[in-house]
Order: sequence, then structure tokens, then C-alpha cells
Amino acid sequence: MPENIPLEKIDDFRWRIPKSYKPGMRVSGLIYASEKLLESIYKDKALEQVANVAFLPGIVNYALAMPDIHWGYGFPIGGVAATDIEVGGVVSPGGVGFDINCGVRLVKTNLEYDDVKNRIEDLVSRLFLDVPAGVGSEGNIRVGAKEEKQILLKGARWAVEQGFGTEDDLECTEENGAIQGADPEVVSERAFQRGKAQSGTLGSGNHFLEIQVIDQLYDREACDTLGLNLGQIMVMIHSGSRGFGYQICEDYARKMVESLSKYKINVPDRQLACAPVNSSEGKAYLGAMRCAANYAWANRQCLMHLTRQVFEKIFGSSWQKLGMSLIYDVAHNIAKIEKHEVGGIKKNLCVHRKGATRAFGPGNPAIPQRYRKIGQPVIIPGDMGRNSYLLVGTQKAMEETFGSCCHGAGRLKSRTASAKSTSTDMLLKELSSKGIIVKAFGRNTLVEEAPSAYKDVNDVVDVVANAGIGKRVCRMRPLGVIKG
Amino acid sequence: MAEQDPLKIKVVGSTPTWPKFFLSKKRMKNYEVLEHTADIGIRVKSSSLEGLFRNAGLAIKDISAEKQKTLIPEKHKIVITQKADNREELFVNWLNELLSLSAAEALIFEDIKINQINEQFVDAIAVGSDIRNYKTNIEIKAATYHQLKVQKTGSHWQAEVIFDI
Repeated sequence: MPENIPLEKIDDFRWRIPKSYKPGMRVSGLIYASEKLLESIYKDKALEQVANVAFLPGIVNYALAMPDIHWGYGFPIGGVAATDIEVGGVVSPGGVGFDINCGVRLVKTNLEYDDVKNRIEDLVSRLFLDVPAGVGSEGNIRVGAKEEKQILLKGARWAVEQGFGTEDDLECTEENGAIQGADPEVVSERAFQRGKAQSGTLGSGNHFLEIQVIDQLYDREACDTLGLNLGQIMVMIHSGSRGFGYQICEDYARKMVESLSKYKINVPDRQLACAPVNSSEGKAYLGAMRCAANYAWANRQCLMHLTRQVFEKIFGSSWQKLGMSLIYDVAHNIAKIEKHEVGGIKKNLCVHRKGATRAFGPGNPAIPQRYRKIGQPVIIPGDMGRNSYLLVGTQKAMEETFGSCCHGAGRLKSRTASAKSTSTDMLLKELSSKGIIVKAFGRNTLVEEAPSAYKDVNDVVDVVANAGIGKRVCRMRPLGVIKG
Repeated sequence: MAEQDPLKIKVVGSTPTWPKFFLSKKRMKNYEVLEHTADIGIRVKSSSLEGLFRNAGLAIKDISAEKQKTLIPEKHKIVITQKADNREELFVNWLNELLSLSAAEALIFEDIKINQINEQFVDAIAVGSDIRNYKTNIEIKAATYHQLKVQKTGSHWQAEVIFDI
């Protein structure tokens, strides 16, 4: 149980699980948290999962956990682990998760609070009608069999080629909206079946589309670079690769469970099943995972297009005139091959981010030229009743976390406990008293996703800011929310 | 709610806003819902391995959807065969095949007939109803291997599995 896990305090925001905790750990665990957040982290099994991740062959430096860490399956949610490819480092489908490239994008507008305060209800109602969401929802963006493979190779570019966006959008998307190395030939027929008709759909559970207003600025220079001001209206979209990604994870988790003995890999939890990056299983998984990542980027591009159309209808103006430019789009469930320094030597690593965001610091060539001076935008959604944040990556993150940061608030309560503690009516009243209008598709979505089910994102962001692995740019609060 | 249950089945985390499956005596005797911070777990019981697989399969239906007026009466029978090295992996493969087929074919599996089963092989027929006859509640992405248990104690079988939600 977690209370038996020895934690060594490094400083107020860093804690170590020593490698000696469990025989088989190849590195220590490093948890970014405050004492306040540790109280909730101790309550579930997330720390044990950090220790388990430290078993992965080839893992370097630390098994990392961000302050939004909570109990997942295999990896904790909020976990980061990098393996050294040259020495047999592995890739684990469980270190990415079922919703491959679940991620979030942030769109700015030139509207201010006064422009929208009487239109929020119209906007939310129209978005609810025009953006397909909910379990198994089907989109209006229909794709032929031949085109499906194009989506997997081209990602968000496919959507832009259909007229659903611009080159600018691609420049402001991680990997320009299409990670290289996608291989549709290693994707199962079932994955195609499951993903069919889901392009341009939001999904369910914690996925959302939110209209927000900036209520706090932290970094004037970064805000000027990004064109952001107090009172400005923003749109945040959270979605992933839907059934297509789930099936790819399932297909390869199963294959890797079967191949554990072949590679003589010993992991304490079968959900951590993995194979060397350079093995046939590892290469095939990465090829398929990249297809799902590109599918997700195409999906969020389509969702942004539908959102822009709704704003055009409500405000009677083009989205360009409304200033609806994409700030950035980040993946928070993904494995990527990146070069990082380990012990003073640049190495090719497979970086798993499971509920964690890439947060490259200033000057990194992977960042769009326009942001290179300030660092990569890092988008941190909170719960639907409190705040969300925009941060930028830092040099410190490059040195300590393989350029990674937290991905959200992190869950505090189970879905059932959350549902038990409030009712839909109570929740809607509470949100309405804060001026927040919410519509949800799933019958239990609202109570399961109640703000009290999450940690306070302000506490989480405090930790990453104080630890120096993310730098605050501005904070938003929600005005209108569509939940899947 | 637990007090009103004549079968005295322990329901962990039930709530009046949850769907009717918590009230269904028929289902409640077969499984209970387990707490997990982000996802949902179930503990399933049966007097046979066959019953265990069937009950777990039907629990998916209870958790993910609620029956509405029948719009499309046609039923679809789908043959499912799965194999694995051991009963735990077979159990996860079985549940994932049901979840995957349910999503790909837009069906909710209302009944399951196990034709043949041992600890490494299952052959069954799942009877699906069109998803439009249901109100979907929650999307189960997959069954996971995390904290997976399939155990036999005396003549009783029990399994625990965590679903990614």
C-alpha cells in the first residue's frame, strides 16, 4: 500500500522513491508535488505505479510523475518515462494509454467578455448541436476508405487540405499535426472499423469543448508574443483518437504481453507489457501508434473547424475576422523518439508521456519559429468549474523531465464517489452561480466530472511553476462547457 | 440503496443518479463495482468459469448502456472465439473482444451463450441489439491487465478487472 512507500524529500516540490524500494527497479522515482498534493497522491496506488514503471528495460534517470499524478493502469496518469533505445530500451503501449494522442488545443479570439456575455447560451447550444459528441458519436465529416489512410499519414494536414483550416494551424500544432513514421499497414482491420465515422467527434468522459475568458496574466512578454490580453475569449478543445486509438493500444498491448518471455522482460504489472523499440513488435507498435496520433490531430483540427463555423454563425462574421487563430495543440498521451542529454551525452530516447505534456524550452528547433523565444506553449486544462492555464516550456524541463510538464488537474475522486457527492441539478446550479453554462451528452458525465472530482489545477500549476518545469503565461476561467 | 436490496448485495459507490443496473436484482447478484480514481473496476462471481465469463460480459452492458424503447428489433448473433496462455489473459481478451465488436458493429450485447470454455480457450455466441435501442451512459475503452484476478476458491469463481473509461 502507498503508506509503505518511502518518499525522500528533495525540496518543497520534489520527492524521490529510492531505487532500493523494490528489487527490480532500475532507477528511482521522482515525483513533483507539494505536501498538500501528496496527501491525495498517497490515497491511491499511483506511487506504487511510479515504482513499477522504474522496472522498464532501458529506463534512464528517473520514473517521473507530475503533480497531477493519479492511479491509472500500468503507468500512473501523469507519468513520464524515457528509455535508451541503443541499450534495448523499450516502448510500452500502456505507457501511452488507450486514447493515443489524447490532447488539447487552445484557440484565441479577438472577442472580449462583454462581446459574448449575453451570447454564451447561444454559443453553447449551437456547439452542442453542431459538434458531435458522446459515446460512439458519428461525425458529419465522412471519409472514404481510400482517404482513411491519408488521414493516418497526413494527420491535421488532411483536414486542412479538405478546407478545414490553414497552414498556420499546422505550424501551431505539435509535430505540425503529423508525426512521421506512421505505418497504416500495421493497423488492424478492426481498428479501422472502430474509427470509422468518428472523425470530427469529441468523444465522451472527460473530453470537452470550453469557451473561456482570460482572468489573469503572468508573463507580459509571452502574452504579447501570443497576442493575449486580460478579458480575451478563448476556446479549448480536448479530444483524442477515439475508437481507432483504443483498438491499436489493445492490439499491441496483447501482442506485447505475449512477447514478454521472448525478450525476457519482467514487469510487475502486465499492463506495462513492452518490447524493445528496435524489435519487430516495438517498431510495429510505434508505426500504428503514430497513425492514431495523426488521426487525433486530424480530429482536433476538424473539431476546431466546426467550432469556428459556430462562432461565424453566432457572430455573423468570418472566423478570420473573429481572430480565431490556433495558439497551440499538444498531445498528452504519446511515445516519441527524442534526443535528450543523459549524463552529459545526447541520446536517442523513447519518451513516454502518459497524461503529461511536452514542454520544450526556448530555442528548441521543434517549436514554431514564432514561439521559439518564449518556449513551447503548454496547455493545462482544469475542471469545468475552476481554471485552466497556458504555460510555456523551460530549459529546466529539458534538463530534468525530458522536456515534459503536467497535463491537467488530475482526478481526486473516483467516478462513483464523485457521482455520490453531488447531483446534476446541484452541480448545474453551482456552476450557473459562477456564470458557467454546461451541456453534456452522457447521463452521468456531469456528476462524474464535477469540479470536486479533480485536484485544484491552481495547486498543480503552482508546483510545476515553482519547480521550474513550466512557466505561467495566463489563466483562464470557463464560461461555457460542452461535455461528451 | 443497499439497504433496500433483498439480496443484500454490496454495491460500492452506487448513487441514485446511476442507471437502473444498480437496481436490477438479476444483475446485482453477479458483480459489484469497485472504486478506482480514474476508471471503473468490477468484481464478478459465479459457480463456473462459463458463468464468470458470461456475467462479466453482461456487466459491460449494464455499465455502458440503458435500454430504451426498441426501435430496431433485429438481433445479431456473433460468434466469438478467443485464446490465451492463461485464464487471466483469456478473460481480458474476451472482454476486449466484446468491447471492440460492440463499438465496431454498433451493438449492445444483451445475451451470451458460452459454447465451450477452458482456461485457455473460449467459444461463445453473443447476441447484440442495435445501439439505437439504448441510451449510452459511459464509454468503456478497454479492459486492462492492471490488478487483474481470476481465481477459483472451492467451487466458486471470482474475477476482478479494471476498465479504462
